[in-house]
Amino acid sequence: MLNVEKLSKTFKTEGGEVHAVRDVTFHAADGEVVAIIGASGSGKSTLLSLLGLLDAPDAGSIEMNGTQLANLDSGGRTKYRAREVGFVFQAFNLIPNLSAKENIKLALEFSNWPKNDRDARADAMLAMVGLDANKASRRPNKLSGGEQQRVAIARAFAAQPQLILADEPTGSLDKATGQKIVQLLREAANTQKTTVLVVTHDEKIANQADRRLEIEDGALTEIA
Amino acid sequence: MNALRRGVRNAFRNAMRSVGVVVILAVAIALSISMLIARDAVNAKISSVRSSTGNTISVSPAGFFGGQGGGTALTTAQITGLLSIPNVTAVQAQLSERLTSTQTNLTSPTTAGSLGARFGGGFGGGGTPTTSALSIRVIGTNSPGNSLVGGANGGGTEKLTSGVAFSPTSTADVAIVGTTLATKNNLKVGSTFTAWGKTITVVGLYDAGSTFADSDALMPLATVQTLAAATNQVTGATVVVNNLNNVSGAATAITKKLGTAADVTSTQATVESQLAPLNTVKTISTYTLFGAVIGAALILLLSMLMIVRERRREIGVLKALGATNRSVVSQFIAESTTFTVLGAAVGFIGGILVSSPITSALVSAESGSSSSPGGFVRGAGGGFGGGGSGFTPPSGAVTAGRFRFGGLSNTFSQLHTSVSWSTLIFALVAAIVIAALGSSVASATITRIRPAEVLRSE
Ligand SMILES: Nc1ncnc2c1ncn2[C@@H]1O[C@H](COP(=O)(O)OP(=O)(O)O)[C@@H](O)[C@H]1O
Ligand SMILES: [Mg+2]
Repeated sequence: MLNVEKLSKTFKTEGGEVHAVRDVTFHAADGEVVAIIGASGSGKSTLLSLLGLLDAPDAGSIEMNGTQLANLDSGGRTKYRAREVGFVFQAFNLIPNLSAKENIKLALEFSNWPKNDRDARADAMLAMVGLDANKASRRPNKLSGGEQQRVAIARAFAAQPQLILADEPTGSLDKATGQKIVQLLREAANTQKTTVLVVTHDEKIANQADRRLEIEDGALTEIA
Repeated sequence: MNALRRGVRNAFRNAMRSVGVVVILAVAIALSISMLIARDAVNAKISSVRSSTGNTISVSPAGFFGGQGGGTALTTAQITGLLSIPNVTAVQAQLSERLTSTQTNLTSPTTAGSLGARFGGGFGGGGTPTTSALSIRVIGTNSPGNSLVGGANGGGTEKLTSGVAFSPTSTADVAIVGTTLATKNNLKVGSTFTAWGKTITVVGLYDAGSTFADSDALMPLATVQTLAAATNQVTGATVVVNNLNNVSGAATAITKKLGTAADVTSTQATVESQLAPLNTVKTISTYTLFGAVIGAALILLLSMLMIVRERRREIGVLKALGATNRSVVSQFIAESTTFTVLGAAVGFIGGILVSSPITSALVSAESGSSSSPGGFVRGAGGGFGGGGSGFTPPSGAVTAGRFRFGGLSNTFSQLHTSVSWSTLIFALVAAIVIAALGSSVASATITRIRPAEVLRSE
């Protein structure tokens, strides 16, 4: 269960203050897929960076299954990122000189997953996203965009996080592939009981989510 | 796979760049290694030359330069007064005189030759120009024991071959005669000859291994002073100092004490002037050594900075995935250490290979420019030659000359290079310093990269 209360983030720029996230309050249940839609520059990525503890909010609180994340020190934040959050990016962001499987094992290493189970866990994740052993041994530049995003999803879910943050995961893919990727996210959320927040500006993608939130100028509203 | 293994693996990610960085590091490390080896070789040579030089100081009357004569003799009092100078253990005084054919029944074993005929008696003004009878040098000394091991006669290696030495304070009409002179005149222990109208008894024979030195006669200082009408006069002294390190201090004290009356020359001073080019090589190699290490560190630093910039996004991804700063930094340190280790390995071997030619190139380049002090060295060494004789060079000059030319060429031919443990340890320490310095700025940059950057507009 994710509880976000009155979350705010302001950037000071040369052109003045930018209220990227204003007083955002929302809740998401375990295994729920929530779509966040909004125009470019509306604050979607900033909200995800706050929820993933990549950046610190100016005000507000984030509570994850009873833990107040705002109170964590830097070590605690790193640990939270490693164990409780998985990121999926628009640009895939796989490590280029590691194979698909090694990319997955990287997340397992950072989360301190039991050493003797990392190999089996990585294989299971590859199977979950439908990649065979041949693809598993390839480096990212020898995989298609859709395949790379599958690896990224496998990497994001590998350490069994409570929250997946996907920032426009279909933005670099064609429509059909994008649909499959969202399908994959939905299934994984279901089986792993993981909350998934998907940022998109594609209505069709948003419609596949359990709920839809719209962000405009940093302010979040629920779409009925 | 942990951070260290990822770092090592990343070192080979861009083959061209890796080869470039490793080669440049290797060249810098090879240069510093060869400089270190050159330094070691030069250092070893300097200390061996220093320790082989005598702990003696030559004192001669001011302006008294070898065969060219000149100057006013010093007095016995001036010379014995030097004993009060700290660290001076002995003072060997000499009075060098010439016996012309009218003053002795001895015949000089030396024939003038055509050059001698031309210059005979031309120097010093005391001699009689003649082509057949050259004068004989008599050295009055208060330390015959020391003379016999190379003191009074300018540094030869005289050995008493028969008879005994006279006592330092002897006033007797006795002599120890060089073997060449003895052979020429059929002298044995117990034989006599005349000098300055007196009958002198031969009490011993010596062999200095050189015809010039063996053509002299050694007599008690007091005897020569009396017979040659040179009461209290001394033409030179060798001051023995207790320790090599005190030689220059004692030389300064002697100069202060005797003022302008004497020329004071320590063998050390002449050796130091010969060592000057070696010291220059040492200085050059020291600067080059540090320059190369710093250069290598700088190269690595810039390369790592370039790599970190290039992988800025990747670093953000690692942090977003939950990598600690420490783990990312150690990954990059492992990468830069890999470059350094490869560079050091290649550079170490290269450095050893080029050190020999570099050392000899440095040394021969420097020795060419060092010929100017030669005249000084010879002049100083020639202090004890008497005036008036022909071409016969003063034995002191011969010795000094041989030391200078033979010694210096030895200095360079014996400069062989060797690789010591300290060189190896240096290479290791240098590599660590290079890697640490090279990684430092990159590490600081890595720590500052905010993971939120990965979500910024792609
Ligand atoms: N690090 C930052 N510094 C300054 N301004 C920022 C920073 N990050 C985001 N912003 C600004 O905050 C607003 C929201 O940005 P972002 O969250 O990236 O929007 P979106 O993801 O919806 O396109 C934009 O106006 C953007 O320029
Ligand atoms: Mg965005």
